[in-house]
Amino acid sequence: MIHINNLSKHFGKQQVLHNINVQFEKGKVYGIVGENGAGKTTLFRCLAGLEDFDGEITSGLQPLKHHLGLLLTEPYFLPRITGQEYIQLLCNARNTSITDIASKNIFDLPLHKYAAQYSTGMKKKLAITAILLQGNSYFILDEPFNGVDIQSNMMIVEIIHQLKALQKTVIISSHIFSTLSDTCDTIHVLQNGSITQTVQKADFASLEQTMKNVTIGNKLQQLGLV
Amino acid sequence: MTTYFLLQYQFINRRFKDANLPPILGYLLAALLFVGLSLYLFYKTTFAQPIYIAIALSVISPLADSRRNDFLNLCFGNAKQRIVRVIENLLVSLPFILFLLYKQYWLSALCLTLLASLVALIRVSTTISITIPTPFYKKPFEFVVGFRQSYLAIFAAYALTVIAICVANFNLGIFAVMLVFVICMGYFTKPENMYFVWIYSLNAKRFLFTKIQTALSYVSLLVLPIIVVLAIFYPSNIWWLLLFWLVGSGFLVAIVMGKYANYPHELGITQAIMLALCISFPPFLLLLIPYLFVKSTKRLSHLLP
Repeated sequence: MIHINNLSKHFGKQQVLHNINVQFEKGKVYGIVGENGAGKTTLFRCLAGLEDFDGEITSGLQPLKHHLGLLLTEPYFLPRITGQEYIQLLCNARNTSITDIASKNIFDLPLHKYAAQYSTGMKKKLAITAILLQGNSYFILDEPFNGVDIQSNMMIVEIIHQLKALQKTVIISSHIFSTLSDTCDTIHVLQNGSITQTVQKADFASLEQTMKNVTIGNKLQQLGLV
Repeated sequence: MTTYFLLQYQFINRRFKDANLPPILGYLLAALLFVGLSLYLFYKTTFAQPIYIAIALSVISPLADSRRNDFLNLCFGNAKQRIVRVIENLLVSLPFILFLLYKQYWLSALCLTLLASLVALIRVSTTISITIPTPFYKKPFEFVVGFRQSYLAIFAAYALTVIAICVANFNLGIFAVMLVFVICMGYFTKPENMYFVWIYSLNAKRFLFTKIQTALSYVSLLVLPIIVVLAIFYPSNIWWLLLFWLVGSGFLVAIVMGKYANYPHELGITQAIMLALCISFPPFLLLLIPYLFVKSTKRLSHLLP
């Protein structure tokens, strides 16, 4: 379980997160939705301990960062390091011994090639593979479906289901609503740095409809397409 | 074209300003360091001229990066891009050429001028599909990346060792040992992305000890062949070899610590000056290493509590 109490974050004078109070339970999958700049990535970085913040974050396993697999929106890769070495580096960092990386290469990545030369989707798949093999209990997946092909998207959805079955805590952000409705138990709506709505699975359809109405409204008519 | 070079000048100035150093002082310190190291090299070995040219060429080689050249090509077009590349290569190698002229090595100065101009017309692809194997796969990071960038220089150090044996010049062998250490120090000059520090389930102290341990074991792997060969051919000088091994290791540890002493920024100017002082008086490392260790621990404590 992860417990966030009164989390606020300022960048200089600008406040980007406002008194966030939320709880992420074991064996559950949570979605965070919000427009660009709503504060999703900042919230994730605070959870991971990559940013200072006001408030409190507690977790069942301490310290949280030692048990957390963090997938960044745009994973960063060192130059001239192969896919296999990247996985080895991440596993070494968590003291996880890994013997046969090739057999765990579920996305069929060219692990002997330099990761920096991978396509966007391949990079994301490599980063996902690495954090899965670290043996984490908590996962933050920031845009895991972006740039990934349909087949791999299906695989990622199944991975998330399995993580849930293994009693892991998973937090996802995605701009593709269907991927969240397929995987999440709860969705939190983040607006201007505050959680404005918490929706359970049964109400996902109405949330999607509300979001459509608010976002699209009559804006298409303003375009005057002919 | 003038705007491009003015921009480059401003970039350099910004780097000094980022290090809290007035650009004029930065240029002065850089010039002093350059002259000091050049004088030291020419004082230490009779093979300084080819080594000096090789160093100058290795300094300008990153400018030949194909993506960078594609960008220049888009900005200037083919013909102008070549002129820009020749000018920037000559500008970067100018301090080396001037020093060779000062030492009255006319032929070497001419060679470097011609080579720098020729190299400007060559493009180096950074997207080579061949994966260079390394012996550092168990703990991949600095040494894996660094070795792949500098393996030619490492092999050059091994070649120097062979020459040192052939011409019975022990000092040249020592130079080869120190060259490997300097190359490996280069692996730790740029701070990595925060993610690659954050991932460790270690506190700052354990993290730093792990980095030191890996650096020392892997540098030994590279330097040991030279040490062993020199020890076989110069058994009476074995203590000198061990001393230089120790001093080289000391500098490497200081550089590893220095990398994190100002993290996530690059090595601070104060630390750089301290390291420069250590070159003239290595025992100062005994004070500098603990100082940098404490500073690094503090800098990393928020990421590695």
